[in-house]
Amino acid sequence: MKKLFKIGLIGLILIFFSACTDILNEEPTGILTTENVQNAYEGALTAAYSALGNDHYDKPLSLWPYGTVRSDDAYKGGSGEQDISTFHFFEISKNISTEFGEVDALWYQCYVSISRANSAIKAINAAENLTNKEAKIAEARFLRGHFYFLLKILFKNIPYIDETVPVADYGTISNVALSNDELWQKIADDFKYGVDHLPAKQMDRGRADKYAAAAYLAKTYLYKAYRQENSQSNEVTSINAADLNNVLTNADLVIASQYKLEYDFAFNFLPGSFENGSESIFAVQFSGDDGTKFGRVNFADLLSVPMKLGCCDFLKPSQTLVNAFRTQNGLPVFENYNTNNSGYSEQNDPRLFHTVALPGLAYKYNESLIYDVDWNRSPGTYGVYASLKENVDPTCDCFVPMVPFYANTKNRIVIRHADLLLMKAEALIELNRSAEALPIINSIRGRAKNSTDLIKYANDFIDIKLYQDGVNCNWTQDFARQALRWERRLELAMEGGRFFDLVRWGVAEQVMNEYYNTEKNRRSYYSEAKFTKNKHEYLPIPQQQIKFSKYLYKQNVGY
Amino acid sequence: MNEQRKIKSNVLRKLKLLGLFCSISLVLLAQNRTVTGTVISAEDNEPLIGVTVMVKGGTIGTVTNLDGEFSITLPTDNETLIFSMVGMKTLEVNTRNRTSINVLLESDTKVLEQMVVTGYTTQKKADLTGAVSVVNVDEIKKSAENNPIKSLQGRVAGMTVSADGNPSGSASIRIRGIGTLNNNDPLLIIDGVPTKGGMHELNSNDIESIQVLKDASAASIYGSRAGNGVIIITSKQGKIGKMRVDFDAYATATSYNNPLKVLNSKEYGQAMWQAAINGGSNPNNNNIGYRFDWNYDGEDGTPVLNNMFLPKYLDADKTMYSADTDWFDEVSRTGMIQSYNLSVSNGTEKGKYFLSLGYFENEGTIKFSKFDRISARVNSDYKLLDGLLTIGENFTLNRTSEVQSPGDVLDLSLKALPMVPVHTIDGIGWGGPSKGMNDRQNPVRLITYNKDNPYQYWRTFGNAFADLEPVKDLHFRTSFGVDYGNFFKRYMQRTYKSGFLSNTVSGVNLEQSHSMKWNWTNTAAYKKSIDKHSFDVLAGMEIFRQSDISFNAYTSGENAFTVETPEYMWPGVSTGKAQVGGGKTGYSLLSYFGKANYVYDDKYLASATIRYDGSSRFGKNNRFGTFPAVSFGWRISEENFMESAKSIVSDLKLRAGWGQTGNQEIDNYATYTIFVPDYGVADPTWSIVNGTAYDITGNGSGSLPAGFRKIQSGNDDLKWETTTQTNIGIDYALFDNKLYGSAEYYVKSTKDILIRPAYLAVVGEGGDRWSNGASMENKGFEVLLGYRNATIFGLEYDVTANISGFRNKVTHLPEDVQNSYGGREGDNILGRPIGSFYGYVADGIFKTQDEVNNHVGQDGKAIGRIRYKNVYEEDGRNEINAMDQTWIGNPYPDFSYGLNINLEYRNFDLSMFFQGVQGADIVNGVKYQTDFWSVDDVNSNKGRRLLDAFHPVTNPDSDIPMLQNTNSNNEGRFSTYYVEDGSYLKVRNVQFGYTLPKSVLSKINIEKIRFYISGQNLFTIHSKNFTGVDPESPGFGYPIPMISTLGINLTF
Repeated sequence: MKKLFKIGLIGLILIFFSACTDILNEEPTGILTTENVQNAYEGALTAAYSALGNDHYDKPLSLWPYGTVRSDDAYKGGSGEQDISTFHFFEISKNISTEFGEVDALWYQCYVSISRANSAIKAINAAENLTNKEAKIAEARFLRGHFYFLLKILFKNIPYIDETVPVADYGTISNVALSNDELWQKIADDFKYGVDHLPAKQMDRGRADKYAAAAYLAKTYLYKAYRQENSQSNEVTSINAADLNNVLTNADLVIASQYKLEYDFAFNFLPGSFENGSESIFAVQFSGDDGTKFGRVNFADLLSVPMKLGCCDFLKPSQTLVNAFRTQNGLPVFENYNTNNSGYSEQNDPRLFHTVALPGLAYKYNESLIYDVDWNRSPGTYGVYASLKENVDPTCDCFVPMVPFYANTKNRIVIRHADLLLMKAEALIELNRSAEALPIINSIRGRAKNSTDLIKYANDFIDIKLYQDGVNCNWTQDFARQALRWERRLELAMEGGRFFDLVRWGVAEQVMNEYYNTEKNRRSYYSEAKFTKNKHEYLPIPQQQIKFSKYLYKQNVGY
Repeated sequence: MNEQRKIKSNVLRKLKLLGLFCSISLVLLAQNRTVTGTVISAEDNEPLIGVTVMVKGGTIGTVTNLDGEFSITLPTDNETLIFSMVGMKTLEVNTRNRTSINVLLESDTKVLEQMVVTGYTTQKKADLTGAVSVVNVDEIKKSAENNPIKSLQGRVAGMTVSADGNPSGSASIRIRGIGTLNNNDPLLIIDGVPTKGGMHELNSNDIESIQVLKDASAASIYGSRAGNGVIIITSKQGKIGKMRVDFDAYATATSYNNPLKVLNSKEYGQAMWQAAINGGSNPNNNNIGYRFDWNYDGEDGTPVLNNMFLPKYLDADKTMYSADTDWFDEVSRTGMIQSYNLSVSNGTEKGKYFLSLGYFENEGTIKFSKFDRISARVNSDYKLLDGLLTIGENFTLNRTSEVQSPGDVLDLSLKALPMVPVHTIDGIGWGGPSKGMNDRQNPVRLITYNKDNPYQYWRTFGNAFADLEPVKDLHFRTSFGVDYGNFFKRYMQRTYKSGFLSNTVSGVNLEQSHSMKWNWTNTAAYKKSIDKHSFDVLAGMEIFRQSDISFNAYTSGENAFTVETPEYMWPGVSTGKAQVGGGKTGYSLLSYFGKANYVYDDKYLASATIRYDGSSRFGKNNRFGTFPAVSFGWRISEENFMESAKSIVSDLKLRAGWGQTGNQEIDNYATYTIFVPDYGVADPTWSIVNGTAYDITGNGSGSLPAGFRKIQSGNDDLKWETTTQTNIGIDYALFDNKLYGSAEYYVKSTKDILIRPAYLAVVGEGGDRWSNGASMENKGFEVLLGYRNATIFGLEYDVTANISGFRNKVTHLPEDVQNSYGGREGDNILGRPIGSFYGYVADGIFKTQDEVNNHVGQDGKAIGRIRYKNVYEEDGRNEINAMDQTWIGNPYPDFSYGLNINLEYRNFDLSMFFQGVQGADIVNGVKYQTDFWSVDDVNSNKGRRLLDAFHPVTNPDSDIPMLQNTNSNNEGRFSTYYVEDGSYLKVRNVQFGYTLPKSVLSKINIEKIRFYISGQNLFTIHSKNFTGVDPESPGFGYPIPMISTLGINLTF
């Protein structure tokens, strides 16, 4: 008995020892492996598009802290200067550390998006029996171009990696491997590919078409034209005519397309059926009621909701911006426009009332919702204005509460037709063909003039006229340049591009220090603000990335 | 361990009973005086049976009977009696002219004969060759702690326990420093079943013994998972003998007696005024509504604040009066712990059982936070086939439930402004921030709503085993263990309005997860002694598998619930939208192991183990790892040449060991390249959701096309992380075991550390990749010293002290990430302790304009501001920039120590326990709030230290920077200003007990009644340099309360 028992037991153990290594073959659950996704190029492309809306208020792809707050258009806002202090330091051009987490995160987010585009290109390339391969690749390249463009205007010197570089070599590519102009050319190449291969019209409104690529290509050439040939400075050394001509070529392509100015300026900034309108050449598509937690909402810009309606009262139009809308005989007041220390002027460009929420007037055209001083969170610090373009009427379904924040699902336009027209006008003026720019600028002003249906309550404060050479102005190149830059400012105010315009034109230092000088009497925190030439035009390369690159990356000048 | 000694003495008693009859022959009939008496054990006051009582120098002797009594007739009046018994200290007593002598015999087995569980087997402590700490379970029971591991803080040299004061008692354990860059939790083995789960979920009253295996030679039998050390816990078993009933209960009051000192409404106004004045702005230009009556003082023009006023109402709608709320007071309370524990045990030669029931409830010091646990245990074993086969099981079922206080409640209590009322005027609505204030929640609302969101967790833990002994000392043992957890939580999200913060979306989330872990262990063990050689060998195999399934259901919408009560808010009645989630994951381990111990003549000891482990987490090529260990011991005190020194050196043993252990704490699917579709259902509120779904059609709503993204890059070459440890140790007992202790020195180096390093951003998404990257080294020492004795008048004392320390250093990192743990090229973390602080050096504050002018360029420098040191001058830039950071702190203490004092006098006992750490740098994060008006959030409340801030005229001696509205000097940058000395000495526990005398108890048929009172965390001594509240928990963790307990132990 005992013996049997023993033998049995030992036998059992022996069987056991040899038979159970199978248990280590764990099949992974709930994931996709490389094999699963090999031919799924469409999924990769969708993911690349999706990256357009994957952002957050402290690393916003709308670039509001960097393009608007850093310019003379807006104050940071929020509860106080320490509320996202990184943005405060950018606002006053001071204490800018190379180690700001927000800056590193934005850099990272852009490269995440670029990696999605590169993956999509690789997947499409690998796909067999695909008839419209070039068009698909062109979409992915468009997206890649977009994110490199953002990086370029923010950081100037960036490592450029496309789908041909093996991952193992990524670490060998420096941010100064390419010159300033070569980088612009790389970005232009992606959009050029789009112009050549994208269809004139996409069934899906969210996709980039030929004209989106052309518009973005024009924009790229415009930036490229203002050469910064000295790598040790950020000064504009020359303006390249060939580039400007490329701006014209591509702008004309778009002008001949289905895209045109909206009838009313306001339609660009209204939700629902107004989205993807005729002026919207390319827009980030947000959506609601789509099965995600809150909807794919515009997370970048949600902080600018006034305190009365939600949170957190960031991005406050500056008094200087409000004053810039002042008109005299229907034209801008180029000199001494910035004398009002509070409130708006008696005569203004109508776009003021579409752009800035002013105490006592309707909020987002809703006359039963009067914006007032007590909507503001810290009026003593940041004044009493709010930004309107990215916001929506809170009674709209598109206004999404997500405590403590309130977001909305309205699309964010990346390039609209008015922007493109002004780019063309700018190129013409710099090519010394100012006369041809005049009707373009007037078409923008004419539309603005007609955009009063929704702001009837402000009619008494509106006066806008077209430029008439020899009648109300002397349309020289210098005057035209001033008029163009002013027009850009008013038309595109608070849309995230002002600061980059200033840098492109090479006037950032002059404009910003003038602004600080004037505004320090209005906002005490500007008293120590000082813009340093050849430094503050660009963000520092994140120190973290310099370390990861084993010091291959070089810091930008001035930092 | 006391219990184990009792088993032994029980057996001894039986043997000696036999001896009683045999030894009668020793007793010579004598004509002289007879002495009678009783021999009892000093340990438990129980009578000792079978103690040999001999007249010194003669042949007369006897043994004690069943009641411990003896009677002996002496040849003369003045004889010396020798009382001896195996396992007890021999005692000599002079009879003089007494006829009755009662003797207390002390245990001699305390250290050496004690059986120690060392992994699949037990060993005599005397034969141990590895570094094993045996915990005195009685000591840990003195704290009113739910988690036994937590009360071990400071009691085991080389083991660090950190915990805040949360009611569940969860704690983190580190053995011998920081061994790896991933999970540092040690492995727990409870009755042979491995787990990394929390001990707070099990009933600590059921614990019989705890052993901490610290070095590799002891732990490597658990190979793959022993890299962070192993803690072996054995639960109580029934004892052969009579039925025993134990009842223990205590009630405890816990108090949050040391909250952070923050500003009240008036002080807040004062600080606000001062900040405005300092910056030259108008203090009345504030958004909250303070109105200041102030003027410049006549002669020197000093600004003087005469009076201040707050508006009656804070909000335009007039729903909130201006208040003066003490938020810390509002969120805290006197906590209450109750614990009841009942156990019944018995045993016969055929079998034993142990049953217990326990209830523990802790209402924490933060209002509404609560933890409770009901537990039941059955341990039993039966002998079959004439004792050849033993079968048995150890099982426990536990239900824990907890309301966890929101992690930021203390932070919010600090930040909530004092003028905000808890409730609106109607007493029902919630107060909250109004214009000009921060956007933080009312912490009272938060904890009140949170009280209905407890989790419930059922955990079944245990094993069933069979042990066959076909021939003597050959054991085949098989054990099947499970650790099953079932977690459920309902989280209710309610609508509210609280100042300008409001929520109209209500929702509920149900969350359920099942975690199943099972293991099957089969071992064969044999033990043999031949002459002076004795050896034991063990071979075995083990399979472990863990499988987790979880899912959740979430529904929410604008007023999705008609009634927002816990009774109503279930998903089925929601009118909102629904979302679900869920997944499964798991892994397996397969291991073979062997062990051999050899002892020659009780002098020379040797031990070797080997374990061959496979884990499903690694790729096929590197699935298995081998973890060997050897160790040797030399009991010098047993050598012949030591014979003469025996009176001084009772015991002396040298030990040396070397071994390797492993670590596999990575994701289950770490080797794979992983893509996932990410529809974007996660909560984007506080961090980015990298979704892959997009409204590409421009429809604006509806189901979205979804792509996928890479979240991990695979690594087929991933292999085990290996820790190699060398340990030398000495165990000693001197002066008749009165002075005892041990000392250890170890070198522990870990290589191929499993890390998922940060990567260059251009790599983009899915750059996360597990790899074997880093190496680290810990060198350390542990010293234990004890002294026990008794005074002539009967005061027994036992003092034990321990001290330990380690030096950690990173010895290797992949080149890419060498600079990402702080530091710069050429001056990085290599060679430094992991987690070292890197930042600026704050060099006091500028007190005069000259000092400001003489300093190098520093954006924002001014009088009253922090001066930063220009550390790196070689960059040739005469300014403070990122290069001027340096190494400014080491988070690990120079040494940690504990001191335990036990006193017993007659029926009274007193114990005191002190614990401390010395020389640890800590980051006092609270300082961002207590020392600055504008560094963190200018519209939040601040600490009272602000009132003592520097001012060139009124407070020129202060080192706290001047108040300012704008943080112009960027003083939030990490600098030495925030690094403080974290040394402390705490009185952890003082307990005073009284045991009713036997004479009283025998009448009521109760064996033992003991009452006690105790206090925990009674006071703390900390460094002057530390400006916070508790250096043990310098941030905003759950406060560590002071605890006062009243308790009773009953044995029937």
